[in-house]
Amino acid sequence: MKKQLIELRVNGEPHELAVEPQRTLLEVLREDLGLTGAKEACGTGECGACTVLMDGKSILSCLTLAIEAQGKKITTIEGLAKNGELHPLQKAFIRHGAIQCGYCTSGMILNAKAILDENPRPSRDEILKGLEGNLCRCTGYNKILEAVMAASIGEE
Amino acid sequence: MRIPKFEYFRPLSIEDVCSILYKYKTEAKILAGGTDLFVKMKKKEILPRVIVSLNGIQKLDRIEWDEVKGLKIGPLVTHDALVNHPIIRGKFDFLSEACFKIGTHQVRNMGTLVGNLCNASPSSDASAPLLVLETKLKLVHLYGEKTIPLEEFFIGPFQTVLDPEAIVAEVQIPNPPPYTAGSYQYLHKASSVGETLVGAAVLLTMDPRDSTCKEARISLSSVAPTPIRAESAERALKGKRLEEKIIKEAAQMASDEIQPRSRPLYRREMSRVLVERTILQAMEKIR
Repeated sequence: MKKQLIELRVNGEPHELAVEPQRTLLEVLREDLGLTGAKEACGTGECGACTVLMDGKSILSCLTLAIEAQGKKITTIEGLAKNGELHPLQKAFIRHGAIQCGYCTSGMILNAKAILDENPRPSRDEILKGLEGNLCRCTGYNKILEAVMAASIGEE
Repeated sequence: MRIPKFEYFRPLSIEDVCSILYKYKTEAKILAGGTDLFVKMKKKEILPRVIVSLNGIQKLDRIEWDEVKGLKIGPLVTHDALVNHPIIRGKFDFLSEACFKIGTHQVRNMGTLVGNLCNASPSSDASAPLLVLETKLKLVHLYGEKTIPLEEFFIGPFQTVLDPEAIVAEVQIPNPPPYTAGSYQYLHKASSVGETLVGAAVLLTMDPRDSTCKEARISLSSVAPTPIRAESAERALKGKRLEEKIIKEAAQMASDEIQPRSRPLYRREMSRVLVERTILQAMEKIR
């Protein structure tokens, strides 16, 4: 299949790329743009490790075609820090020990950001429901929950 | 896991979608949210030669509501949009709740209601509420269109009557009459996707003059090869005052109507329990 020229806007930067239509957004982010924060684990939309934000909504980049992401604003974990300073959720994850092996972390933080952007003061249950599509293989869910709760009330 | 190669089309109108489908027939698949399609393609369960994306067509993500015509949902409306839409939260609250059960936050942001219906999983959460709401689907083909009841759409597990050359262009839901309320209740597996094991929906219309049940519709998902209506249970409620004995009898009849493919004892017992709960909850809402 012939490559097609597409433009992706990732973390505010435009990128022009030639991609085959079957390539996922995850593959293009990792292999073409060198943004390896988003991970592949299950590849079938169950684990959330590939979560990125598209126009502010959390989506699974392993089930999204790169070609379909044209014209959308993509945010990856690499785009969260501003001027060298980590995002409050990133700081909260570090402070609360919510990172163990780190494989789920970028997806957790981006989905948590989407949850807080939609509902700045979620209840504990709303956070749990929101994060149900992000699996942590180290099972560090309590600390992750604490970190998101802390970030939601402005603590780091 | 990689998606196998395909030829990609991004038409700008439903007519153009139909032309492509007409040309490629069973070799083509429609792409809306991709959450079912690409999983099946990665697992090589299906290998379409052509993918027709709907995402280049404007206005397909619209939810329209009208006092007379009811609700119209386009083929790119996501579960998340249905969860958060004020009219659906207000007038079709149990549909919104069912959509909130589907998948995960990310899947709800991507997956569409129409895609979910076309996937025709027996355990589809939105199906039971949509069946009791007497939902219709507008099917469009290059050479014409027709509107069919959702009940006629499902024919077996993951099978629908949809012609490979046609597209579901709209979901149509009539406004429920006054003194009507619905409820959806479910039990699910404890797994990453939390697939529903039993889903029950009811829509009750009461007669305010004598507190009898004017109209009753009951639907169950995940307990038969397709989502089903429990019609004998519906008849048992209609015209009656909904006392405990009548409700329990109807719930038992609904449970007798199911045809579970696995875990029959659990599904039968829980169908009875959930139908009873939905009836009580709907009555509570009307009060």
